[in-house]
Amino acid sequence: MKNNLEYRGIIRLCLLYICFLVPPPYFAHFPHGHCFKDFTILEYQQPYQISGTVTDSYGPMPGVHVLIKGTNTGTFTDKEGEYFLLVSNKDILVFSYLGYHSRELPILGRTTLDVQMQSEVTELQEVEVNAGYYTVKERELTGSISRVTAKEIELQPIVSPLEALQGRMAGVEVVQQNGVPGSAPIVRIRGQNSLRREGNYPLYIIDGVPIISAPISGGSNMYSDGIDPLSTLNLSNIKSIEVLKDADATAIYGSRGANGVVLITTKKGNYRRKTEIEARWYSGLGQVSNKEDLLSTEQYLAIRKTALQNDGRQSDEFSDYDLLLWNQHRYTDWQEVLFGGTSQIMDFNVAASGGNGTTSFRLGGSYHNEGLVFPGDNSYHKVTAGLNLDHISENNKLHMNFSAKYGIDQSDVPAYDNSFVSTALTLPPNAPKLKNEDGSLHWEEWEYSQWDNPYAAILYRNSSDVGHNLIANLGLSYQLFHSMTFKTYMGYNNLTRDYKASFSKDQYSPEIREGQNHSSRKRHADRKSWIIEPQFLYRTKMGKGTLDGLIGATFQQNDNKNLIVTGEGFVSTALIGDLAAAQSVNIINNEIKRYKYNAVFARFGYNHDQRYFINLTGRRDGSSRFGPNKRFANFWAIGGAWIFSGENFVKQNLPFISFGKFRGSYGITGSDQIGDYGYMDAYEATAGPNGIYPTQLTNPNYSWEENKKLETTLELGFLNDRITLGSSWYRNRSSNQLVGYPLPSITGFSSVQANLPATVQNTGWEFELATMNIRSKNFRWQTFLNLTIPKNKLLSFPDIEQTSYANIYRIGHPLNIRLLYEYEGVDPETGLYRVNDVNEDGQYDFNDAIVVKKLGREYFGGLTNKFSYKGMELRFLWEFVKQSALERETSLPGYKAMQTAQFFQEWQYGQNNNVQTVSESFDAGTAYYNALFSERFFTDASFLRLRTLSLSYDLPAKPLKNIGLNGCSLFLQAQNLFTLTNYNSLNIENPGNATLPALKTLTLGVKINL
Amino acid sequence: MLNKRYIKPIILCLGYLLTISCEDFVDLEPPNYKMVTETVFENDETAMAAITGIYNELFSSASFSNGYISSVTILAGMSSDIFETTSATDTRYGPFQQNQISPRGTPDASANYELWSSAYNIIYMANSVLEGLSNSDQLSEETLTIAEGQARFIRAFTYFYLVNLYGDVPLVLTTDYSKNAVAPKDSAAKVHEQISTDLDLAISLLEEVEEYESLERTNINRFVVMALRARIYLYQQNWEKAEEWSSKVIDQASIYEILQDLDQVFLKNSREAIWQISPVPVGRRQTTYTREGYFFRGINSSRVVLSNDFVATISPEDKRLAHWVGYNSSREFYFPQKYKDGSSSGNITEYSMVLRLAEQYLIRAEARAMQGNLPGAISDLDKLRNRANLELIANTLPGISQEDLLEEIMEERTRELFSEWGHRWLDLKRLQKTAEVLKPIKPLWQDTDIFYPIPEEERAKNPNIEQNEGY
Repeated sequence: MKNNLEYRGIIRLCLLYICFLVPPPYFAHFPHGHCFKDFTILEYQQPYQISGTVTDSYGPMPGVHVLIKGTNTGTFTDKEGEYFLLVSNKDILVFSYLGYHSRELPILGRTTLDVQMQSEVTELQEVEVNAGYYTVKERELTGSISRVTAKEIELQPIVSPLEALQGRMAGVEVVQQNGVPGSAPIVRIRGQNSLRREGNYPLYIIDGVPIISAPISGGSNMYSDGIDPLSTLNLSNIKSIEVLKDADATAIYGSRGANGVVLITTKKGNYRRKTEIEARWYSGLGQVSNKEDLLSTEQYLAIRKTALQNDGRQSDEFSDYDLLLWNQHRYTDWQEVLFGGTSQIMDFNVAASGGNGTTSFRLGGSYHNEGLVFPGDNSYHKVTAGLNLDHISENNKLHMNFSAKYGIDQSDVPAYDNSFVSTALTLPPNAPKLKNEDGSLHWEEWEYSQWDNPYAAILYRNSSDVGHNLIANLGLSYQLFHSMTFKTYMGYNNLTRDYKASFSKDQYSPEIREGQNHSSRKRHADRKSWIIEPQFLYRTKMGKGTLDGLIGATFQQNDNKNLIVTGEGFVSTALIGDLAAAQSVNIINNEIKRYKYNAVFARFGYNHDQRYFINLTGRRDGSSRFGPNKRFANFWAIGGAWIFSGENFVKQNLPFISFGKFRGSYGITGSDQIGDYGYMDAYEATAGPNGIYPTQLTNPNYSWEENKKLETTLELGFLNDRITLGSSWYRNRSSNQLVGYPLPSITGFSSVQANLPATVQNTGWEFELATMNIRSKNFRWQTFLNLTIPKNKLLSFPDIEQTSYANIYRIGHPLNIRLLYEYEGVDPETGLYRVNDVNEDGQYDFNDAIVVKKLGREYFGGLTNKFSYKGMELRFLWEFVKQSALERETSLPGYKAMQTAQFFQEWQYGQNNNVQTVSESFDAGTAYYNALFSERFFTDASFLRLRTLSLSYDLPAKPLKNIGLNGCSLFLQAQNLFTLTNYNSLNIENPGNATLPALKTLTLGVKINL
Repeated sequence: MLNKRYIKPIILCLGYLLTISCEDFVDLEPPNYKMVTETVFENDETAMAAITGIYNELFSSASFSNGYISSVTILAGMSSDIFETTSATDTRYGPFQQNQISPRGTPDASANYELWSSAYNIIYMANSVLEGLSNSDQLSEETLTIAEGQARFIRAFTYFYLVNLYGDVPLVLTTDYSKNAVAPKDSAAKVHEQISTDLDLAISLLEEVEEYESLERTNINRFVVMALRARIYLYQQNWEKAEEWSSKVIDQASIYEILQDLDQVFLKNSREAIWQISPVPVGRRQTTYTREGYFFRGINSSRVVLSNDFVATISPEDKRLAHWVGYNSSREFYFPQKYKDGSSSGNITEYSMVLRLAEQYLIRAEARAMQGNLPGAISDLDKLRNRANLELIANTLPGISQEDLLEEIMEERTRELFSEWGHRWLDLKRLQKTAEVLKPIKPLWQDTDIFYPIPEEERAKNPNIEQNEGY
């Protein structure tokens, strides 16, 4: 059917499409048709000399290349920025200079042509930013959206893409608490809004497909924070990551936007280009970035023996095997043994892209492999493939896109019950050897201790966690009329993770091995979601401006399956995991959960004269997570911007301001991040036969969390945008808090789901400064600084004294506080820590915990410096964080467990009785635990870290051309090279806890373009 | 400006979008693993399944009753003179042994919290069933009475341990969390009163239920209730009633008997058992042995063992020494071995014993002795001495004084019921002998140690709960 479609026909078609297809948000810039400027055809004339001066905001520019377009004829400007060239009337001159926009100017018979060059920094203002359902030029933004692009992230040897944002964006806090590859980072956009830790996930959207952002748990204990649902993405396939922060940007996501939105856009092919192939390889080494200073055997034994002496206790073999049975001269650096390995990293990435006038494609694949730092030969692998196809019809009205991304990753971390990390920090330095001379596991000396031989896990507790992730989307847009486009868009995501672990009974000491079984554990997590989003877009000129309209609907369904199966009693180790060969098979968990979500949304944006912008967004949402009558709610936002540098009075009076924009927004977003079916009062099956039991308290009346966001921002560009400064102030007030309301266990359970009338306020300042410090013909130095000063406060909480939060939060204080005892120092009589019994009732309880200490970040940010010289570029990113934390808890000093070297110093040589007497008595224990709940161990945990350092060199183009290469570059990348801090703990990103710190890696690679 | 001819189709499309965004789309059926509470009590079968669920949870998740690391059996056993830790510096069990339990932060505090909170979790389940039954109009009369009787028993049974371990505790009788969350402590007397009410009601509700439902002894019949009732009368020093109710249980010779082979006593469906908790798993659990069996395997790294002083009170000819006490020769300690299986897979031989006939004989012996019926008491006591291969009192000391006989009964209770449900600790407390017996062996003993502390996190969440004295 090739007849022209009338609009009636189109409408019918649309209605059909609504049911099946949906449009991709990133097509939101409309195909306009090409605008050709009419120009008079100039007659041929004799060549003549043209001259002129090239300047930028600083004055004349020497060394600018001036070329007659389409020829090899050209020249450079001289010291004064002047040039002379023989031209003819119809010629076009091209002016180019590194770091500046090229300019093409037709001569049109002129004899002098002065040119003002624009620095590329200004380009930022012209970049199209992905706002989700639509795109908008950075300069026209009414909302707060931060962006990083491929160049800044693709070379980092990391697994989780969001880790790449660390230190790069104001207002975005990314903390990788656990350095095991694939571990989910904590991402907080403008602070913690929900009182529940698990109610603070941002919305992740990859090319329009929403990805469930909760980490996947249920596998190896090494993944204490779960596995990142984005771990299977190919970092090199990411074109940009946009983070939507304020109401104006997030309200269109309604109930899902309260914690911000992370939009990941993948790379696409290019129209009208010959096929290009890019291949990239890097390889390197990694090690843990930090280790703690712990005791030597001598120091350890000194403490232990003194403790016995102090307690007047005779050592016995049950309590003091470390003194009586273990070698007194043996020393093992358990950190070195248990996580001191070197990780080998290798990454290969190849992509082909190209197209013709109407169709483009990009096809790519990658392989990533990194070893683990734990003992044994385990590693993490990732293989990805991706395809992106685009087609535009000849008349430019129909636009189709299909993309599919497939990723597989596998992590072979040992299935240790404990963490190697915490074990390494507690094992006494003279703990027994792991293996006997003949290579077999050593058991004898471990048997009577409280520890298991940790190496047993390496040998006999194998596991693998394999993820498969398909993200596919199909989009179609059709320009119905000049000003109206219909888009329909469909996305599908299927993420599965299969964890398999086999536990040989040889993991048990020979003493208890008898009667044990070979066993296995499998977890199959399956997350499927589909989304359909039909939309109409409207754009028209209106007076001196443009009106943009968008209206659409969302239908989404997530199916979440979890199956955990264990097998017991396999005949031999070879059969472990073959459930058909198990004596007994147990289904630990077989939950199938569904979530359905439905919304209509709209946006109207008006732009008057490229100076005044207003943007209205709204959404009506329905979520299956709430009880009947509580399912629907409305969300909206208004945003406006004024580019005052476009006003004449600014141009005249403040000429040094090259760009100035003031914007603000206000709106309401929501959060439905609460478990599925929570409102249902229900029984579940017991672990014994024929029984059912209530598993939770239920409350059918809870509803959305609300987050009211207010923001104002001033953006300034100086000296032709050589210096740009953005400063934002925001205030988010999150109310109607959905919490697992903690209850005393006399109610039967420890919490119930409920909305609290409490209001949490996040305010903050964000600054982003970009400067071009030096710019000459061959050398450039740019600096980017971002700084976030967040403030979090519990604003109100009626009758908090009557609730179970009375002793957790304080009104007027941040959420992340600890109520601690007042520390009074070491009691000179007893030699023990003493805390203040404020009410003098002889007990230490919450009534005495009167010291309020704020944990977490005071301010944080990143400083990037970029130097380029010819083809060489050096970048480094410093991340800085000012924060407080409690020290990592160690065992009671004197007890048979490791202490820090710092403790030993203070104990042995300390002048001012800073630590308590080493002793294992009950009094010592009580005093020590009270001190742990006091301000005694509260300390500064700020750090400055060289997050990335990268050096790259583009080989000169000419010789490469001769051997058929379009480009070749070499690069060196270092991550977490060093960290400055006074905080004496293993993992500065997770202070107070024993988790694997981020690796320090060094990689070297090459990139080739064909 | 919008061109007029476009307006109509746009409005049509918008209208269409709005109509398809409807309530129905976000309405969900319950998932495969949930059953809505209302429907549970619309059907006799599922209502009874809710009762069975409680029995199962007493083993699966209820720390206080499952015989494991935070159970009454272990912790109250530590507090008495039966158990001791292998290491003088043990941080979990040591404070229970020395009666230095902290309310907060330490490993012993978390054990105490698990004990406390799991008991209230079981009470919630019982309350939930009782409410479900009273709100339902679709259940048969039989289900209504049986389920109510059994739920009331469970509640009384759980409160019995709470009130004995903690003293005054909040008496929670509904599932209304908004009220319960701020409930203050009720007097121990009030809790005892409720226990009695529940048990008396249960006995009459279970009038018809004389048999167990199957061959197993895991559900509550009227004799189970009577057995606990007898114990509570004993605790209340109502000797007459204690004798009366224990007799009613002992008289059921067709159901219960004192097994002569000590190795048979703790087997599943043992004829000495009045009530057992089944470790039989489905699906999500793997263990196929009792937790007592697992905990007391007597391995080298054992942290809790029998105290030597206690073992010394068992004479060598006492068969209980050979059959119920194990010995680890490499590390030289004794451990309880009433349960022999702590590691088998798939072959369940033992159930966890809660109430057994031997205790009923001891209750009656004591009640009779207190009432001056010494021959009756001696005959009851000798029933157990005979099985243990000890000389019978009737033969050796027929003229024993009441005081000495009571002393003998106490010693017999200790030897017979050791490592079961904290009997020794509760006995010392009810006879007010804690200080006398424990002070000499526990240097840090204080008189306020007879009650465990209220967990501090509980008090942090409920400002109305007072801490017990001495903490």
